[in-house]
Amino acid sequence: MNEEPRIGVYICHCGVNIAGSVNIKEVVEYVKNLPHVVEVRDYIFMCSAPGQEIIKEGVKKYNLNRIVVAACSPTMHEHTFRNVLIEAGLNPYLLEIANIREHCSWVHSESREAATWKAYTLIRVAVAKASLLEPLKDITFKVNKNVLIVGGGVAGLSAARELALKGFKVYLIERRPVLGGNTARLGRIAHTELKGKDVVGELLKQVVDNPNINIYVNTEIIDVSGSVGNFKIRVVRQPRHVNEKCNLCGECVRVCPVEVSNEYEFGLTKRKAIYLPYLGAYPPLYVIDHENCTRCLECVKVCPRNAVNLAEKPEEIELNVGAVILAAGHEPYEPLIGEFGYGVSSRVLTLFQLERMLDEESPTKGELKINGIQPKSIVFIMCVGSLNITPNAYPYCSRMCCSSTIKNALVIKERYPETNIYILHKDIRTYSRGDEQLYLRAGERLIRFARYREAPNVLVNPDGSIDVRFFEETIQEEVSISADLVVLSVGMKPPKDIDRIRTIVKVGCGPEGFLREAHLKLRPVEAATDGVYLAGTVTGPKNIVEAIDSGSAAASKALTLLVKEEAIVEPLVAVVDDERCSACSICVGICPYNAIRIKTYEDRRIAEVDPAVCKGCGACVASCPTGVMQQFGFKDAQLKSQVLAALYK
Amino acid sequence: MSQDLEPRIVVFACNWCSYAALDLAGVSRMKYPPNFLVIKVMCSGRVDPQFILEAFRRGADGVLVAGCHPGDCHYIEGNIKALRRMTLLRRVLEGFGIEKERFRLEWISASEAEKFVRVANEMYQEIKSLGPLKLQETV
Amino acid sequence: MEKPKIALYWCASCGGCEEAVVDLADKILDVVNLVDIVFWPVAMDYKIQDVENLPDGSITASFINGGVRLTEHEHVVKLLRRKSKLVIAYGACSAWGGVPGLANLYSREEILRYVYHEAPTVENPDKTRPQLKTKVEEEITLELPDLLPRLLPLDLVVDVDYYVPGCPPTPDVTWKAIETLLSGNLPPRGSVLGASDKSLCYDCPLNETKPDKVLIKDVKRPHEVLADPSKCLLTQGLTCLGPVTRGGCGALCIKAAMPCTGCFGPLDEVIDYGGKAISYFASIVDYADEEEIKKVLGKILDPMGVFYRYSLPASRLRGKIILAER
Repeated sequence: MNEEPRIGVYICHCGVNIAGSVNIKEVVEYVKNLPHVVEVRDYIFMCSAPGQEIIKEGVKKYNLNRIVVAACSPTMHEHTFRNVLIEAGLNPYLLEIANIREHCSWVHSESREAATWKAYTLIRVAVAKASLLEPLKDITFKVNKNVLIVGGGVAGLSAARELALKGFKVYLIERRPVLGGNTARLGRIAHTELKGKDVVGELLKQVVDNPNINIYVNTEIIDVSGSVGNFKIRVVRQPRHVNEKCNLCGECVRVCPVEVSNEYEFGLTKRKAIYLPYLGAYPPLYVIDHENCTRCLECVKVCPRNAVNLAEKPEEIELNVGAVILAAGHEPYEPLIGEFGYGVSSRVLTLFQLERMLDEESPTKGELKINGIQPKSIVFIMCVGSLNITPNAYPYCSRMCCSSTIKNALVIKERYPETNIYILHKDIRTYSRGDEQLYLRAGERLIRFARYREAPNVLVNPDGSIDVRFFEETIQEEVSISADLVVLSVGMKPPKDIDRIRTIVKVGCGPEGFLREAHLKLRPVEAATDGVYLAGTVTGPKNIVEAIDSGSAAASKALTLLVKEEAIVEPLVAVVDDERCSACSICVGICPYNAIRIKTYEDRRIAEVDPAVCKGCGACVASCPTGVMQQFGFKDAQLKSQVLAALYK
Repeated sequence: MSQDLEPRIVVFACNWCSYAALDLAGVSRMKYPPNFLVIKVMCSGRVDPQFILEAFRRGADGVLVAGCHPGDCHYIEGNIKALRRMTLLRRVLEGFGIEKERFRLEWISASEAEKFVRVANEMYQEIKSLGPLKLQETV
Repeated sequence: MEKPKIALYWCASCGGCEEAVVDLADKILDVVNLVDIVFWPVAMDYKIQDVENLPDGSITASFINGGVRLTEHEHVVKLLRRKSKLVIAYGACSAWGGVPGLANLYSREEILRYVYHEAPTVENPDKTRPQLKTKVEEEITLELPDLLPRLLPLDLVVDVDYYVPGCPPTPDVTWKAIETLLSGNLPPRGSVLGASDKSLCYDCPLNETKPDKVLIKDVKRPHEVLADPSKCLLTQGLTCLGPVTRGGCGALCIKAAMPCTGCFGPLDEVIDYGGKAISYFASIVDYADEEEIKKVLGKILDPMGVFYRYSLPASRLRGKIILAER
């Protein structure tokens, strides 16, 4: 754009929010003399309809081609004023906001002089940049209507259900051989007669027969290219070695010589290398754990339906989707060996192990017996792995453990009323509907609550008996309880391969390793990467209801993209000056989104930015050794002009 | 006309964390010296050491680059790129004889308005006591 | 028709640029046929008065190499500016200060003290220093030029029309620059003559050996590693400044398995050569942890010498800010 800049500057009083601290008159006088400034107006509320009119009139009357609005933060009204420019017939990117409220009047209200100086200095900076702004065009592209969901737990299933019901095609991938995630392993869910796997079963009913949903178990994502609306995904499916002919007769399990710890029973029992993860699992087929299988072929020989095939190979599959929902879930915190006696004494269990044991389908048929004896005194220690109670604990609250602990304590009290139960806690957070009643009922049933300050000491005596010692906050005394069983209410932690997944899909994470939302409050199920949505515990601890909710929410957010034929992104992307690019490749390795490739044209090699993939961070621009890579809206010349204007004396 | 304020400190703030933290400082009516002039970039990874050298050249008495905490970057690791560059830039600034107090790289999340205010106050005090940065011009 | 008049002069320079002119070999005869050399202290016996006696603007072009370090340099380049239609900064020192420009990391006093008192090879118990004026006989006082506080690139002293890069400019670049000047079809003032408008990587025979992503885990100094001459030197951890340096040299150092040290200077868009160099170089150090980053970058023992080897006096900050001399 070669025309001479003609800048209109519109200064907002924001009632008294700005005008109360800033001498608007003085600012107006100052700004009038800045280069390229043709019109300066001030008004009580520039964002109001009459305020917007003033801008539109100015554009018409003075033939303005750049607008500076000096008002609140651009996060408040940049959008509003961009629309004003469109209505006035200008390109919306010819707007620059000077933030004279949040960055000036509100923080420098003690000195009118200082606030006034800062206001016109900030406007000077904005005017300098405005004079170098260029008209830009939004980037549009076609949207593929399919969705990839990573993770087949309740959040992923919930999202799949919503999308399939709306008629969108879903690829649901799960790294384990069965769907249902952590929920499938839970016992009775509080306030219901359902068990974890019943909840999963209900969801599965609505999912597995829907022709819009393609389920891939034993499958992991290995690569993503493209971007919002057009992702190319590569996944790899590990062989199950057992096909649909399997009728679950169980002959294979009988002959399999390999025994390993059963992760679906949290290590309480052993399973074979060929196994059914749990009763009622989907898909309802046996599976061979090829890491532990010795290839002895006993199962192949014995299978009456020839359903076992050890020759199957991993298979790579390419999927084209418009959106990705990450519902990769969590893992329970696993205490270190020796932490609260865990792994040292058979009388120390995690809450999940206890819950499995209380399940009537458990190896003990629901009987609570430790080394064959029914415990008389049970101590629950809460917040294990959470709230920083130990050096390797996570800093957050895992949300579901309080209610879950109390629920299990009540189950025990129901079945074995004589048991003495102590719940040692740092804090009780029974925040969900009905949970507070559980807490009160626990009190009525004489379950004793005690509050520790420092993590309790679990002393395993030589005779195998256990004493739990801690300083009780309420009575301000050292307390020692002798326990037949200690239950560790462990929290949640990010799944172990989350770093691998998030690096592939390009999603940030917080210090604890959970994935980061685009905005904690306003965009809780969207990743900062366009077209990627987050569901369930992958963003942090949630209970089942919350996880199902967030699955539906992520699906709904994805739908807002998928229902469009074309998607739009802001054009503040990187751009190469083709003529002078030296093809040094530095930018290619800097781009976190793989948006830059070196392309060859006849003899000429140049870097090329895919504007649909570029997210506009500008890291490549700063790294470009020759300065031919630039970013629309943040070009070197524009930023330099701001530096100069800020320092002009 | 109001007096020019000294010292003058240029802030490069990323859109998602640090710029938002400065907004929050405003919303919370916190107070900090007016000497900090913010230039918004989308990511601290956009900040080119050239801009900082240019700022010192043009009379900045201090420069603050503020981005999201490591791991929190909106663009995955733009802040890490800033960290790499600023680590080397710091040694170059030392080579030029610019006191280390005049240049800072800080991680300031959107909720850390207080941290920005603390950093601003510290920088202001330190730079005030160093006095203005005077470059030698020609002969 | 009268032949164009040419002057050649050296300031703070090693003499390599003068050699470069001689290195034109056969072509120097062509040059001599095409122009009249009116001043060339290194090679011919002219006196300063010869230049002073010329009418203003009568020299077609003055090729000046070396940075301006002495009052004498300052005097002569101002004189040549007055007498010349075009002033050409010839070579890295004249364009940006060059290696002698690294002296701008020290004050004038520090330099004199070291050179005349402290250097290990100096024996000077009386602590004598060169005097500006020395009376040798009753009537005769010898004068020496004074050392300026700093070394200055030519364009900070006089207006410069064109630049010819290199330490020294290669014969090829020199010849191309001369051809451009003689063609009469002059590029915009301030242009770099004889070299490329792209970085060295573009011409580098090793550019296509780069992997997709140029990232490094370690930094090596040239003597610490036996570089593989068939692979991009930057990807081997050497501080090759090829990406940030103007091409046109023919990748001579690279062909000898030595990393580019940047003598062809920056491209047009670059604000500060060293600033840009540290920006791309630090960016590719493939660690996220601050300590690791510091450790690896710490292997660059002398960042000023590496990244500002030829351009310190022309950098945004010119040199070390020395409090004592304020």
